[in-house]
Amino acid sequence: MADKVCLQPCLGLRKEAVLGRQALYVVHEDMLPDETVLGCGPALNANVQEDVDFINLYPVLAVEACELDCATKLVAKKQKKAARTIRITDLAKGLNLDLEALPEEHIEAEDPAVQAVAKRIAEHVRELLASSK
Amino acid sequence: MAEEHDFKVAVLPCNGIGRLVSTVVRLAGYRIKKERPEQVVLLSSGRLAVQDPEHLATFQKYPVLVIDGCRPHCASFMADELGKTPAGRIYIADVAAENRIAIAGDKRRGLTEKGEKLVDALVKKAVAEVDRIIADEMLSTL
Repeated sequence: MADKVCLQPCLGLRKEAVLGRQALYVVHEDMLPDETVLGCGPALNANVQEDVDFINLYPVLAVEACELDCATKLVAKKQKKAARTIRITDLAKGLNLDLEALPEEHIEAEDPAVQAVAKRIAEHVRELLASSK
Repeated sequence: MAEEHDFKVAVLPCNGIGRLVSTVVRLAGYRIKKERPEQVVLLSSGRLAVQDPEHLATFQKYPVLVIDGCRPHCASFMADELGKTPAGRIYIADVAAENRIAIAGDKRRGLTEKGEKLVDALVKKAVAEVDRIIADEMLSTL
């Protein structure tokens, strides 16, 4: 039974990736600090022990910016399977977010788009925790 | 027929998420590209880690400048893993020390003036490295 979920962002460069990473800070730091850990892709790739432990100990929620699914593939590269993969593009569509209106490079964590995406991600975390019981 | 040269530098910031410096490095990457739009190609560590073919081709084509945020030097690891010696390496701690900038108290989700100072210093150093690498490439063709 898992007591935490590993949030694994793709950490790409596009706007959707920025929206995703900011939302994950909100999920991990504000909404579910005791129920999540934040996985770092480059560190996992470099076999940093903490990040390797995260994907081995906890179900992984891969948070992708696009259909390339880099976070999911990276977890697979390290011989694990993501428990669930979600895409910011799909979340944004479902929330009717106007991505064009968002700034490039950096989006404030308080932005309603970040908060809305964070809420949806938190729902996925709760579902994964519930299903692991 | 004269050989056509495409003088660019592929910049690989670690683009991590775990550390405060991750945010500094990420923001610097975008601004380095803005400072040298024709000379810089920005690489995504996410896509390179899984060897996305298009990204890999860019990585292999151009001299690479890696920017490491923290001790594991993940961007350097990635370049080494892919079998290429970077033309330049920058470690954010060195930039902070050289410029006497401390960013304790800033947050990963958004930087204050302190963190922005470090971003500016990193961009300045990286742009100088980009210019040096391109000059080196150009001169090597003469």
